[in-house]
Amino acid sequence: MKLHAPPRTERMAVDQDWSSVYPTAAAFKPASVPLPIRMGYPVKRGVPPPKEGNLELIKIPNFLHLTPPAIKKHCAALKDFCTEWPSALDSDEKCEQHFPIEIETVDYVSAGTSIRNPKARVVTLRVKLSNLNLDDHAKKKLIKLVGERYCKDTDMLTITTDRCPLRRQNYDYSIHLLTVLYHESWKKEMWESEKTEEDMEEYTWENSCSQKNALDTLLRIKASENVSNVTKEELLASEVVKNYRNSVIALKNEGETENNMSQYKESVKKLLNIQALP
Amino acid sequence: EVKAVFPHGLPCRFQQQIKTFNEACLMVRKPALELFTYLKSSNFAHPAVRYVIYGEKGTGKTMTLCHVVHHCTRQGWLVLHIPDAHLWVKNCKELMKSSYKEGRLDQPLQASVWLKNFKASNEHFLKEIKTQKTYVWGKQESTEEGRPLGEVVEQGLARTRNASDAVGVVLRELKQQCQRGSFRLLVAVDGVNALWGRTTLKREDKSPVSPEELTLVYNLRKLMMNNWNGGAIVTTLSQTGSLFKPSSAYLPQELLGKEGFDALDPFVPIPVPNYSPKEFESCYHYYLDCKWLQHEKGQCPAGMGHGGPGGGAGTRGGPTAEAAPLEELHSTVRIE
Repeated sequence: MKLHAPPRTERMAVDQDWSSVYPTAAAFKPASVPLPIRMGYPVKRGVPPPKEGNLELIKIPNFLHLTPPAIKKHCAALKDFCTEWPSALDSDEKCEQHFPIEIETVDYVSAGTSIRNPKARVVTLRVKLSNLNLDDHAKKKLIKLVGERYCKDTDMLTITTDRCPLRRQNYDYSIHLLTVLYHESWKKEMWESEKTEEDMEEYTWENSCSQKNALDTLLRIKASENVSNVTKEELLASEVVKNYRNSVIALKNEGETENNMSQYKESVKKLLNIQALP
Repeated sequence: EVKAVFPHGLPCRFQQQIKTFNEACLMVRKPALELFTYLKSSNFAHPAVRYVIYGEKGTGKTMTLCHVVHHCTRQGWLVLHIPDAHLWVKNCKELMKSSYKEGRLDQPLQASVWLKNFKASNEHFLKEIKTQKTYVWGKQESTEEGRPLGEVVEQGLARTRNASDAVGVVLRELKQQCQRGSFRLLVAVDGVNALWGRTTLKREDKSPVSPEELTLVYNLRKLMMNNWNGGAIVTTLSQTGSLFKPSSAYLPQELLGKEGFDALDPFVPIPVPNYSPKEFESCYHYYLDCKWLQHEKGQCPAGMGHGGPGGGAGTRGGPTAEAAPLEELHSTVRIE
């Protein structure tokens, strides 16, 4: 049986320089990491296995080389290659106002004979649609053209290009895409007038089944009371119908909640003249 | 009376409870009372108002509907009760091509079952109402104008081939004649979301059937429109029997779909929540009264031995039986 030396962890001080233990990305070495970690599925009535000889800990990627002090050192080393941030751009809003388009590129460095990395040609272009000059129809058309690349919550269009071999070419292509999208969305084709109800992004009450039904019902009510000469425009402009219209739009666009349903109920009761508890 | 008013339509558990306790008792709850005020104050010259009872599973929608049905029968309305519209769009053994219209399919079994129950609940109305048109059933059979509606029902029961058409005739006649005001019509449909969903039925060439190709569903949809007056339409949404809908869906738009919502709009939605603490208390007081729940500190020394009729469920009620008195709002309605 070979006698092993005690692991290095026993001789580590608490305030040692960690970035010298793990200067680069390396596998997990249980003798070099002084933490009592357990990982793995426990046997029955047992605990997860300890770190010595633990394959699970070695398999997973670890970030022991990227602790905050290590990152500070990286930044200090890179500072010599950087220029000053312009002092006028001190807030996010100012940055967005002057520079609405953001370009993201990644540079890769590796220890090897070649400085080339095929992943370095990827260019990501991000822009907020509120900064582009689009009217209602153009915005809807652009969103339809672009599909998944638009995020509704942040109103951000993200175009990622990597089909050209050089970064400069990809950047030119992404700018070209943005220009083309902008101009195309302003054009209106002939066949766009055939847009049906299923294509609509949000619910409009005018010309919908709900409006027809409501008007029919109201006309029948008026007819039964022998009140004639009530035109559609008058009905549409009345308070109850407006109330009803708002509640139906809220229901369809925002989905159903307790609030929405009770609002709808009240508006229908007023519309059909149903009295509640006497 | 229970058999006469509800030949079909009571939930299965409630029927077991009736058998066990020998009496039919249900709790009076706010949604039902709300509906009663609406029905009482509704103007019968106006088009029929549609009420949709919705709520999560097991909160009492079908029971509310049955309560309304019973109330209207007591007041002398003609009640058209369809116990579960889902039964008409699934598990159908026989599908026949309709002789009346090309491309439609008949369901003789379901139609005849429904006609039988309809006859049981509305005998005296069927004698009074007369048909307004001549209906030809086959080469030799026809119903003249002016014959009582009961004959149409008999015809449907005798010849199952024409049962679905008989149902269609009944529905049409009732809709037309209700407008004259001689009687009030209550259309009570449980599981109305079945009418606008999908079916699990297939034709002989395995092509799927959509609901409007079924005669029964087509005629019922016509009745759901509010282009008639003199009555009311009370419906329930039900996820339990529904097809192709997730089990967490209970809101009207989810279960009805776009088509159904547009067809029923504008309707009055009536939510039915779970039991409130007071309702729950009155419910278990009732069970205690019927000796269905056994109590740890049972009143009589033999209280452990014999439970109620049929042996009780041995739950231990927490507070003892002298808890808060029942409020009038939550009194039980005894149906003899």
